Amino acid sequence: MGVRARNALPPPVAPGHSLIVFGYARPRSLPEALELIAGGGRPLAGGTDLLVGLRKGKISADRVVDLKGIEDLAPAIERVGEAVEISAGTPISDIVAHPVVRADYPALVAAASAVGSIQIRNRATLVGNICNASPAADTAPPLLVYGASVVVFGPGGERTIPLAEFFLGPGRTALAADELVVRLVLPPSMCSAAFARLTRRRGVDLATVSVCCGVDSDGTVRFALGAAGPRPLVVEDTTGTLADPAAPEEATSSRISEMMEAATPISDVRAGADYRRAMLEVLAQKTLAEARAQAGARS
Amino acid sequence: MSIPNVGAPAGRVGGFDRVTGRQRYIADLRLEDALHVKLVTLPCARARIVGIDTSEAARVPGVRAVFTAADLPDPMPRYGVHYDDRPVLAVGETKFHGEPVAAVAADTLDAAREAAGLVTVDYEELPPVLDVRGALDPAAPLVVDPDLRPGDPLADTNIRREFRYAWGDVDAATADLVIENTYTFPMVTHFAIEPHGFAVSSDESGVIVWSSIQHPYILQRVMARVLGLPWSKVRVIAPDPGGAFGGKGYPKFEPLLAFMSMASGRPCRLVLTLEETFQAVRRNSAEVRIRTGFDSDGRLRFQDIGADFLMGAYVDISERVISKSSHLAAGPYRVPNARILARALHSHTPPSTAMRGFGTPQFTWALEQQMDEAARRLGLDRLEIRLRNLARKGEEIVPNDTPADGDWFESVQKAVDAIGWSGPLPEGRARGLAVGIKSSATAGAAYSIVRFLYDGSVLVLVGTSDMGQGARTILTQIVSDELGVPPDAVTIVMGDTAAAPFDYSTSASRSTVFMGSSVMRGCADLKDQVRSIAARLRGLPPDDIGVDRGMVTFPDGEEKGIVEVVQEGLGPVGGELIAVASMRGEADPSHPIGGRPWFYEFNCTAVELEVDRLTGEVLIHKHVTVGDVGKAINPLQVESQDEGAAIMGLGHTLMEHLVLDEHGRIANLGALDYRIPTTKDLPLDLESVIVENEDGPGPYGAKGVGEGGLLCVAAAVASAVSEATGVVIRDLPLTPERIWRAMSRAGVTPSGASRR
Amino acid sequence: MNRQTMTISLDVNGQRHVLDTAAHHSLLDVLRNDLDLIGTKECCAEGECGACTVWMDGKAVNSCLVLAVEADGGEITTIEGLAGEGELSPLQSAFIEEGAVQCGFCIPGMVMAAAYLLEHNERPTEAEIREALSGNLCRCAGYKRIVRAVQRAAGSGP
Repeated sequence: MGVRARNALPPPVAPGHSLIVFGYARPRSLPEALELIAGGGRPLAGGTDLLVGLRKGKISADRVVDLKGIEDLAPAIERVGEAVEISAGTPISDIVAHPVVRADYPALVAAASAVGSIQIRNRATLVGNICNASPAADTAPPLLVYGASVVVFGPGGERTIPLAEFFLGPGRTALAADELVVRLVLPPSMCSAAFARLTRRRGVDLATVSVCCGVDSDGTVRFALGAAGPRPLVVEDTTGTLADPAAPEEATSSRISEMMEAATPISDVRAGADYRRAMLEVLAQKTLAEARAQAGARS
Repeated sequence: MSIPNVGAPAGRVGGFDRVTGRQRYIADLRLEDALHVKLVTLPCARARIVGIDTSEAARVPGVRAVFTAADLPDPMPRYGVHYDDRPVLAVGETKFHGEPVAAVAADTLDAAREAAGLVTVDYEELPPVLDVRGALDPAAPLVVDPDLRPGDPLADTNIRREFRYAWGDVDAATADLVIENTYTFPMVTHFAIEPHGFAVSSDESGVIVWSSIQHPYILQRVMARVLGLPWSKVRVIAPDPGGAFGGKGYPKFEPLLAFMSMASGRPCRLVLTLEETFQAVRRNSAEVRIRTGFDSDGRLRFQDIGADFLMGAYVDISERVISKSSHLAAGPYRVPNARILARALHSHTPPSTAMRGFGTPQFTWALEQQMDEAARRLGLDRLEIRLRNLARKGEEIVPNDTPADGDWFESVQKAVDAIGWSGPLPEGRARGLAVGIKSSATAGAAYSIVRFLYDGSVLVLVGTSDMGQGARTILTQIVSDELGVPPDAVTIVMGDTAAAPFDYSTSASRSTVFMGSSVMRGCADLKDQVRSIAARLRGLPPDDIGVDRGMVTFPDGEEKGIVEVVQEGLGPVGGELIAVASMRGEADPSHPIGGRPWFYEFNCTAVELEVDRLTGEVLIHKHVTVGDVGKAINPLQVESQDEGAAIMGLGHTLMEHLVLDEHGRIANLGALDYRIPTTKDLPLDLESVIVENEDGPGPYGAKGVGEGGLLCVAAAVASAVSEATGVVIRDLPLTPERIWRAMSRAGVTPSGASRR
Repeated sequence: MNRQTMTISLDVNGQRHVLDTAAHHSLLDVLRNDLDLIGTKECCAEGECGACTVWMDGKAVNSCLVLAVEADGGEITTIEGLAGEGELSPLQSAFIEEGAVQCGFCIPGMVMAAAYLLEHNERPTEAEIREALSGNLCRCAGYKRIVRAVQRAAGSGP
């Protein structure tokens, strides 16, 4: 910020005119990267969140650690067994264009296509989007519905964290200070899923709320909610009510209402909490109908 | 010359440079030896400055000056447009979030930023006045020190000025239906894609100011005054602005840079960040209380209007915005009785200035919704009620003032036809329609110098600013036709007060009329000169010689090109022909707004839209904007401007508003949270229609263009939203959430699934 | 402040440049300030407005969000490099002919984004054009003519 005041005041809205200086490192290997990160360096992939955060003073860093020089993280989308694996360095534009992703994970494509503009998607990585852990991240709901997990590399080697356990709060993940996400794993898609989001304008915008609905072949219905609390939320219905296209509208609506009560949306400059709450139900209805239709088409 | 240029969709002059990236805007100018300046501001609106420690900042390598109020003359120099009220740097107290308390000048931008971050300010936050209610509260702090308003009876209030207009007798007027409501219009900011930029080089020989300014001569005058210099020692160089919309009209940080330049001995340059532009300029927000009387036929009996405009701490041009727009608050209608009281209020908010529409959108928002409500309550079609009240050409709208100067019914009819007003309405959709007028300039002066060079090419020197509206192009078209010169042989020189003569301003959509006329007169003068030359060469009376479209015609039928005659006349020594011309409209001090408007910009906007009853989202299927322009010198540019105005209007209608927190800071500061329309927010079908009756005071019967398309967008959309949902909303913007809330409160139940 | 400077090598519009840059400077900073390629503009500096759009290694990106050092070894195309010296590409001509250029400040970024679309999609639909340009803000034009210019250049007509 351009001023250091002796008065105590809440962190100001930074007009972006102060100088943020940081160093730059471009490691060639994961262990090298980890060492730099453990030393306080901030991982840099697409830069579309990090650089903005640094310039606005919301993130501080002495050094950014460019991951794009690491072979292991180079852009890749591959079938591994029945799963699909996406490396950490893969830009979102590659993901939304990939035929396998488009065929098997349409809700992810819908959500990822809404991330910024084409200029942003050409740089922003899916893994980076996840690690940024914004409660409003569009990609989180479908990834949660599809049961994605992240593979994390640390001093002890690799470990896998289900995405549902990965988000801890706004900007906080289960990553330790000396760990990096190296890839995302999408299990074979067992469900029909649909995604919807609400924004303040039709053009590029952060989501006011977003919902992904997945209908499993066994009748489980899952909703993953974005911008509905400090971290993306998953609520599940195993009663079979929601999966049943013949269930009366009354029953479906009240079951959805019940499930949405788990959400804790806030009021902020984008929207009021009550509007968010109401829209969660609206989007839940909408995505349920689409997911059910998709399931019907599949069977 | 075969096909006239005037009236043709000629390609934009300057288009090549703009599509290739060659065009140099203010931030692209390389000033040798310039210091980079960064402003230091506080994270709140109002604070008492206790002390500023610049020592650490001054030690940053490359820093040449760290300025505070202590480095400026005492008393603090002040400048402004209506009044000399704005301090060069905040002194004693800051008055808005973004008012600089210090400024750093350094060899590099990095050094300036670093140093700006090291300035330590000891300050005490004070309670700010942030809205109309706050400003009018008798217990509220005074935004402006009464000592700075000597002799002003309102000096111990936050009311800066009151403007009162009245005709007929509102209190005695009878009406079958009286409708009374309050409407609000939010703070919005111009958000030109080019942030403001300035540079000043100041020494004993004078001052050169580079600025993205729309009105170089106003800047010249203000700089000369605050620096105590003759005007001839102040040169303003104004590169074509990258969009302005009124936000680059008046001085902002040029005076500060002048003092810093004098102190440091080097030119000082400041380019604002986008966020800093939000803190520097915005539209006047307003609360309009309107009581309208109708007879049972829907005819207007009276308008009783009270409006409070929130200006910010410094007046800038806002008194003019308020006085002029409120004068026309009763709109394009026949209104037998009217009473208008508009107040200009001070606040500790970001400062307001001129913005496209100049106060009229705020009134139109209220006025047109009153018409809709009357229509609803009287069971009249919303179009019909307007037709019953719209002034006919030649009829008075404000008594003893410029009457209706166009066939406004024609504009309305074109909008009605284009939207299919009476046609069947697809399921779930609704239509809305609104009209609006804005006064053009009431006085002013536009001088031009037209130089006919020996080779037949032409240089035109004018003080108009081409900020995207295409002034260069239409002046080129006019000169080309008048003198018979091919358009590429015409060069328009703008933006240099040392080269181009006085032009009052580029505002109020006045340039086609004022500067266009001035240039036409210059061309006529040149043709007279050519006639005299031809006459001298032939020993004939000048009256016997014709000069038209590049040809000189002699009585014996012989024809010669102008260039040949001129070259023959000037001989081998050469030379040129020069014309100095002006178009002046004198101010009338007896007139409440200084003179009668030269023309009105009249617009009719009609929309067809649907509202998602579940989410409150609006989808505009069709948007028609019709403007009465007199003559479209360049139809392509007219349509482009109108479309742009329409979309800008959709901005404040559907999504734009500056949100202030309790500290008076802009909470949505920046492009991320201040949303303007994108390509995906366009109506599915946007149509711009022009009415040309050649009944304007400008060249070829032209009026002016550029603001009309914005005036009644909000009202037209709100009208349709009301039809679609049954709820009436009197505040802007009509965000999905606001519409949803209104529907929820009214118990409007959604029918059918969400339709995204 | 600890400032790190690095030497980078960039191919910009077919010309190789080797220069020193601070690690925290963006590609936009380097293009404008070090290489005097002022055609690419700065507006929001946070990837929301698209005024700084260039192509990097064949992809349209916001150059304000690319560090200059990240662009080391990369191939950059700016508006100045879109057409030959003194020439206009069909897309650039279409922008002028359709009346899509007003103040012009958004135009370099807009043209780069539109050209990127046409490289990958020869006959885009109107919806695809709007989508492709949704990261480029314009305050003057109302977008309609910009969309038409792209349609014209694609030969797909309005």
